[in-house]
Amino acid sequence: MPTWLRSALVFGLIYTFLVGVSALEKGIKIMGEDTQEKLFSSVDNPIAGLCVGILGTVLVQSSSASTSIIVGLVATGGISVEAAIPMIMGANIGTTVTNTLVSLGHVRQSSEFKRAFAAATVHDFFNVMAVALLLPLELLTGVVSKTATWMSDRLVGTAGSEWKSPVKTWVKKPVEWIVDIWEAVGLNGNVLGTTVVLTGLVIVLLSLTFITKNMRELVADRVERSVNNVLGKGSGSIAMLLGLAITVAVQSSSITTSILIPLAAAGVLSLRNAYPVTLGANVGTTITALLAALAASVPEALTVGLAHTTFNVMGIALLYVPRFIRYVPVQLAEGLAEVAFRRPAWAVVYVMTAFIVLPLIGVGIFG
Amino acid sequence: MVMSFFSKRESGLDHIVSQSVGMLGDARHSFDLATLALLTNTDTSAVDADIRETDERINHMEQQLRAELVVHVTVQGSSDIGSVLGMILLLKKIERIGDQATNVLDLAESGVRLSGEPDTEAMLAERGLISTMFGEAADLLGEPNAERTEDFATRVLALVAEHQAKIDGYLHSDRPGREVVPRAIYYRYLKRIVANLLGIVKTAADPLPAFSETDDKED
Repeated sequence: MPTWLRSALVFGLIYTFLVGVSALEKGIKIMGEDTQEKLFSSVDNPIAGLCVGILGTVLVQSSSASTSIIVGLVATGGISVEAAIPMIMGANIGTTVTNTLVSLGHVRQSSEFKRAFAAATVHDFFNVMAVALLLPLELLTGVVSKTATWMSDRLVGTAGSEWKSPVKTWVKKPVEWIVDIWEAVGLNGNVLGTTVVLTGLVIVLLSLTFITKNMRELVADRVERSVNNVLGKGSGSIAMLLGLAITVAVQSSSITTSILIPLAAAGVLSLRNAYPVTLGANVGTTITALLAALAASVPEALTVGLAHTTFNVMGIALLYVPRFIRYVPVQLAEGLAEVAFRRPAWAVVYVMTAFIVLPLIGVGIFG
Repeated sequence: MVMSFFSKRESGLDHIVSQSVGMLGDARHSFDLATLALLTNTDTSAVDADIRETDERINHMEQQLRAELVVHVTVQGSSDIGSVLGMILLLKKIERIGDQATNVLDLAESGVRLSGEPDTEAMLAERGLISTMFGEAADLLGEPNAERTEDFATRVLALVAEHQAKIDGYLHSDRPGREVVPRAIYYRYLKRIVANLLGIVKTAADPLPAFSETDDKED
């Protein structure tokens, strides 16, 4: 496909994605306040919200998708910014499952597997440490939400007001068509709302999948060149910025981090060189939620998108900038990889426990 | 370095091919110096550091380009896996030429001198011929051409046969060992160098030649 045509396709897909986010918001509004309250009361507890964020992201295998959905939910007013922030943090943890699963593909070559598993889990450890540090801090001081609110106040106005997003106007018609189509087949009330929400979800997931696929084709040469620059010679900050640029371009941190796994497995990229790239990917992936916020009509949606960025930037500031703590996630990942190297079954136990069992227990207890 | 993401430079296999051409230029430089040290009165200590540094540079570049090939396959998928495997083979051959040039230097440093001998002029002329073959190989690596590759292969194979005949002649000669042994070793290195040059050109033209025969053919 010619580049110009693929670029036009990507623009069309971004528009479709925004229609999906807006449909999500519309569907929940159709459901009515009582249903909304029943639906979202379970995530009022921050631990439950965190676990829902992890599980939801593991399910869709994309933090871009799950955070966009969270932005859509905040836009309806069903979830507050404070309740959405733990979910966003959970999405950050959940997204690391993809590259951990990619690393399991190397299980037959033990030395390769050890390197691949360490490169994958360094992302897990960093994100878990960031949540362990910033979630209590957020609950005590509201540092993430206050910073994000301060930024969104300056960008689009104060919370509670109506934000006249131009994108919202552009996507209004297609969303009305979706509602009209389902009304025409006889749906109404909660059934109509649920169907519109599901339609929005399908549109968001499909459009994000195709955006990522096409952007990967469009920027493959640039990604290749950037990764070559990181090999053995890039400083941490440069590697981080390249990770950010690649992720913004392909709209998926999973793509960026999954590219690193085979390279680490082959011994081409060291764990210490791969690590800052994953941190850049963490920040880069927040662009999708910010994009989704453009289709929302309240400033709170943008606040949540900005909270995602703020959380990741703060995580880097607290866990990467100070030298004494910088390589703790690397050491933890190497330790876990050593265990998985001796007994590969533990790698599967780890994935199941960290990404499914513990979050389910969390939802069960705190939800 | 971050701007590399936004710049429009050559990338992927094109970049690796142009770097390989540079490596071949380095290998030629080593070959020229090493053979000069052996066939003339050049002081070996004057060229030793240059040749060994060049060899290290070639080895380092080979490793770097092999890593870039792994990145290429990881990012772009396996659509051009044949070319990637061919490039790995090709890089190894250039690296071997660098090693063989160093072997010629080692021969000179061991005290062997082939200057001022009756066959020195012929050997110097042959050295010049092989040096130009490096240039031809670099051209064909950058721009593969079936017709020129065929012509190059014919000349290289004739030269290889000639070298082998000389090696056989030295091995069965009644002349003193101090005369024939260094020549037999030298021609063995030359034979390997030109054979590797042909390997480079053929791999560039056809990375993974397909087998045309089937195992069920009738005898």
